[in-house]
Amino acid sequence: MDIAAERIERLHELARAAAANRNDDRARYYVRLARRVAERNRLTLPREFRRFTCDRCDAYLRPGVNARVRLQNGHVVITCDCGDHARYPYED
Amino acid sequence: MALTPETLPRHELNGLPVRVVESDDASRVGLEGRVVIETTNTLSIEVRDNGESQVLMVPKSGSTFEFAITDEAAGDEKSSGTASKLADTQPDPSEESDESDGAGGDAAGCARASGHAGEGVAYVTVDGSRLLSRPARRTETNGDSPWQ
Ligand SMILES: [Zn+2]
Repeated sequence: MDIAAERIERLHELARAAAANRNDDRARYYVRLARRVAERNRLTLPREFRRFTCDRCDAYLRPGVNARVRLQNGHVVITCDCGDHARYPYED
Repeated sequence: MALTPETLPRHELNGLPVRVVESDDASRVGLEGRVVIETTNTLSIEVRDNGESQVLMVPKSGSTFEFAITDEAAGDEKSSGTASKLADTQPDPSEESDESDGAGGDAAGCARASGHAGEGVAYVTVDGSRLLSRPARRTETNGDSPWQ
């Protein structure tokens, strides 16, 4: 694992901790920085990171706090407080 | 490539415990806390004294910083508690970080690990001017990028 991938891991943890402390702007800053590191180094962000961040406003999502999670026709639909939906399929 | 004294100038600084050891501005010397926000020219340090936390912005140029690399910070990040463990700045009493990593030679020159490493913590002293870079670009400025 190279430095860029490790930075992303570390920023993921920082974003999660900041979101847990209700420090939303700081969580956004960490999410944006992780995205920037990934794009500059042509890395795919880890799946967990993609599932727990909002594509539109870069918030770190905490289901039940700033995100709503519903199941619909074999898909998980996660709605951020900003109104953006992300959907992905699930297996039973 | 883990976070070692050699790789620190290219690694993530946010979240690391830090102390200002030298500064042009004498009032900043001795500030101790964790890096919470990095910009091209500054580090914002969250200083905690008895329950009160305060975020202070320190320019990178003109200051020398001492970062503490604890073992769990240097080691594998998979444990979900990493960030919260970093939060209370508790050194993990296991082992030294591996310094035989052949990272960029010029990083090794400036980021020397000073002698007083104790109980699983390595202290790395870095001149702030070495960190002057956009936070996302620091990783690439020193080799091992496909874009060189
Ligand atoms: Zn959103």
